[in-house]
Amino acid sequence: MLSELAGGVLTIGSDGFVTFANRSASALFPGPGPVGIQLLTFLDLSGVSNGSALVEATRSRTASAPIRIGLAGGRILDTRSCPLPDGGAVVTLLDVGLYIHEADLARRDPLTGLPNRVELRERLSVLLAEFQRTQAPFAVISLDLDHFKSVNDTMGHPMGDALLVKVAERLRSALRPSDILARMGGDEFMILQSDAAQPQAATALATRLVDLIGRTYIVSGQILNVGTSIGIALSPGDGEDVDSLLKHADLALYRAKTDGKGVFRFFQISMDEEMQARRLLELDLRSALAFRQFELNFQPQVELDPRRLVGFEALLRWRTPARGLVSPADFIPLAEQTGLIVPIGEWVLQTACRQAASWSQPVSVGVNVSAVQFNNARLVQIVTSALNASGLDPGRLELEITESVLINSTQSVLEQLHAVKSLGVRVAMDDFGTGYSSLTYLQKFPFDRLKVDQSFVGGSGDGSKGMAIIRAVTALGNSLGIATIVEGVETEEQLAQVRAEGCTEVQGYLTGRPMDAAAAAALAAESPSPTAVQGDPP
Amino acid sequence: MTETVYRLVYYSHNRIVGSPAALEAGINSILEVSRRNNPLANVTGALMFNAGCFGQVLEGAPDAVEQIFERIQMDPRHSDVHLLSFASAPARAFAHWSMAFVGASVPDAARYGAIADDTGYSPARMESEELFKVLQRLALEDEGATP
Repeated sequence: MLSELAGGVLTIGSDGFVTFANRSASALFPGPGPVGIQLLTFLDLSGVSNGSALVEATRSRTASAPIRIGLAGGRILDTRSCPLPDGGAVVTLLDVGLYIHEADLARRDPLTGLPNRVELRERLSVLLAEFQRTQAPFAVISLDLDHFKSVNDTMGHPMGDALLVKVAERLRSALRPSDILARMGGDEFMILQSDAAQPQAATALATRLVDLIGRTYIVSGQILNVGTSIGIALSPGDGEDVDSLLKHADLALYRAKTDGKGVFRFFQISMDEEMQARRLLELDLRSALAFRQFELNFQPQVELDPRRLVGFEALLRWRTPARGLVSPADFIPLAEQTGLIVPIGEWVLQTACRQAASWSQPVSVGVNVSAVQFNNARLVQIVTSALNASGLDPGRLELEITESVLINSTQSVLEQLHAVKSLGVRVAMDDFGTGYSSLTYLQKFPFDRLKVDQSFVGGSGDGSKGMAIIRAVTALGNSLGIATIVEGVETEEQLAQVRAEGCTEVQGYLTGRPMDAAAAAALAAESPSPTAVQGDPP
Repeated sequence: MTETVYRLVYYSHNRIVGSPAALEAGINSILEVSRRNNPLANVTGALMFNAGCFGQVLEGAPDAVEQIFERIQMDPRHSDVHLLSFASAPARAFAHWSMAFVGASVPDAARYGAIADDTGYSPARMESEELFKVLQRLALEDEGATP
């Protein structure tokens, strides 16, 4: 029965001679076979590595743990010895080459053939151990692709995978044999750069990679462009263990991303502190709705000649007991990144509509809606329910969107905008004149109003140029039948200037600072009824 | 059966630094490698070097052109690669050249072509179709003059 076992079996006599070998065991070794020879002699003759450990085990009177031996041809066996009552032992031989191959696969990324996260961590710990001896600095370089998600979303995953293979090839082409490149998952890669003077070598490599990865690709006949952002942590200064080096390289990458992508950044200790601060802010922001820490302020929008109130822009304020008033510039980007803007935005819409419905004059209320809110397919439903719950006339609600909503404009965003408009809600383009200000957006969607960015009124630089832009945008609005409103008017002089340029509506400190809900209601109450002034001469 | 021909046109900026001799050696090595590899992939084309820029046309099966272009993208001897076009073409324009070098001779191109100027043919100042036509015309003119 032993002779038919798939695994190899040897029996050893109490004198150390091999007394029996089954077919599988004999097949593992070339030549006449082991029977009748001392086990130790046989293993030596066969060129087996680590054979003496096995021989040692056969002399023990207890069963052994697996002992790994290597055969001359490169095969690897796990062996075990069990004592026999007669003083000998039985040895089992298991060819584990297949398992080791599988273990190797578990350390490789199947798509690119690169080491994966598991392997990378091990290689990094080896480098750290060597550092004790060599004191040689090395760089941990984290990189990912900018806008990779949109390639996957618009061209499909097979295309994204094919692109990743090409990216991996390009990365490999820029590295030296001593560098270690791994795919950490998705579009994230990590490089360990040793045997080089730091930080010069990492700077040179990162510069090259930003250029190289950013070059145009042709993938399955399609032209693709992606960039890369890179974060670098240096050992030993930026961390003394695997986790902290990887984390710090990622923090530097995060900074590169927020600094506008397509750049590289070295880790700095302040990034750690900022990330901590950001995490605490996020924790507070998550509970802000429940603790009712948000409030709305309202800034008047005024028509000129004669001056009269036509509406308010609702502005979100966040006040916490510990932080006081938090600037929207500090928490809105975080709310957008974390998706918290969706529930917060819903609260803003509901509250703004409810407040506006309580005003005694039917002036409009503008509410900012960010691109992230459009990714949530519920936006139309949220607007509808805010209108229904408040009873506000849809024509008095104006959604203010920025170019970023349309910049990666999918059909779905346009459909949502049209659906909102079909409710009777107005849609304004906010911050007009900044960013790309592509006029094609005006063709893509019938906006009701352009809000000319405040930078053209006060701001820095040449005032006359700003005024020329205001004149041009006002004329553009007139010829397209789109109302325009100029933001940021702070002085009578500026007001006179924008009026001279043909502007008919303004929003700014001069005509009204942001005020709380009660003050806004009071201001609405004392303003002349819009219907009453409509007949007035201009 | 007619083959599917794709044509790719790009220009890029030279990154070979050093003497005209180093540049000449660089251009020769680019041509040598192209002339060795392109026939294996059945890719043909033309290269010029002027005003500090390379202009190149590659034509062949889309997969083959894609692969060679990817190799070109990884070449550190140039940068700012501007892909001007990649589209199917009715037929090969450089059927007889694995990689024609057009314009000045390689030594002359190495000597004078590194100077960025607005005169003559600057690949960076041409549209895809124009660059392609110039390369094609120069290749035809040079045919017979140089083997």
